[in-house]
Amino acid sequence: MTLEPDLRDDLLAAVPSLRAFAISLSGHVDRADDLVQDTLLRALSNLHRFERGTNLNAWLFTILRNLFHSQYRKRRREVEDPDGSYASRLTVQPEQGARLDFEDFRTALSTLPHDQREALLLIGASGFSYEEAAVICGCAVGTIKSRVNRARSRLSSILKVDATEAIGSDPVIRAALHTAR
Amino acid sequence: MTADKGNKSARVLREDDFGDKLASDPKLDTVSQKRIGDQLRAMYDDLVQQPVPDRFKDLLAALEGKGAETKK
Repeated sequence: MTLEPDLRDDLLAAVPSLRAFAISLSGHVDRADDLVQDTLLRALSNLHRFERGTNLNAWLFTILRNLFHSQYRKRRREVEDPDGSYASRLTVQPEQGARLDFEDFRTALSTLPHDQREALLLIGASGFSYEEAAVICGCAVGTIKSRVNRARSRLSSILKVDATEAIGSDPVIRAALHTAR
Repeated sequence: MTADKGNKSARVLREDDFGDKLASDPKLDTVSQKRIGDQLRAMYDDLVQQPVPDRFKDLLAALEGKGAETKK
């Protein structure tokens, strides 16, 4: 199996979106980069399975997503974490490369269940269709739709609560809110 | 599945199409939907625009033209 220059360019061109997906999924830049590297190596050793002319990005995302899930399951088995406190500590750690402006949003995103987070990222950020996302996640189109909807509702309520808390610290606005109620 | 139809053209999602899909959720008002969609894309675009670490260029350059069956 040789890597042709064209394919190398295509793979390299896919790296920024793979990284963005991996960082958003895992919440860690370092782990994300390892995940992307594993994805590229896995893709190269399975190139014969890729149908030329089909969506390379969707294929790569599928590999990355599956690797992430198997690593996550493995990690969970290794670290006894019945109440999820280890996992939550991992996801809120500030990361190099993650801009501060998006911290609230990233924190909110990290509280979503994995299946909802990945569905939202694929549809709302990576630009895949519902059909493509369903193939990537190995589930029905309707499942993707409901996960995306649940993810949006949940994010909305988390971010709304945060905004209310921020406003609530201002006495004038708090008084106004109180009157409004 | 009737979904096949939109599949070919759907790779690049247009804003308009996306708006329609957002609007299909009855639970969220349009303002919240848009706000979440905007924040999500802003956060994601920020990540996409980060420079590609050298390790990936090096990796692919090293693999080019030779066997890709060995790891590293």
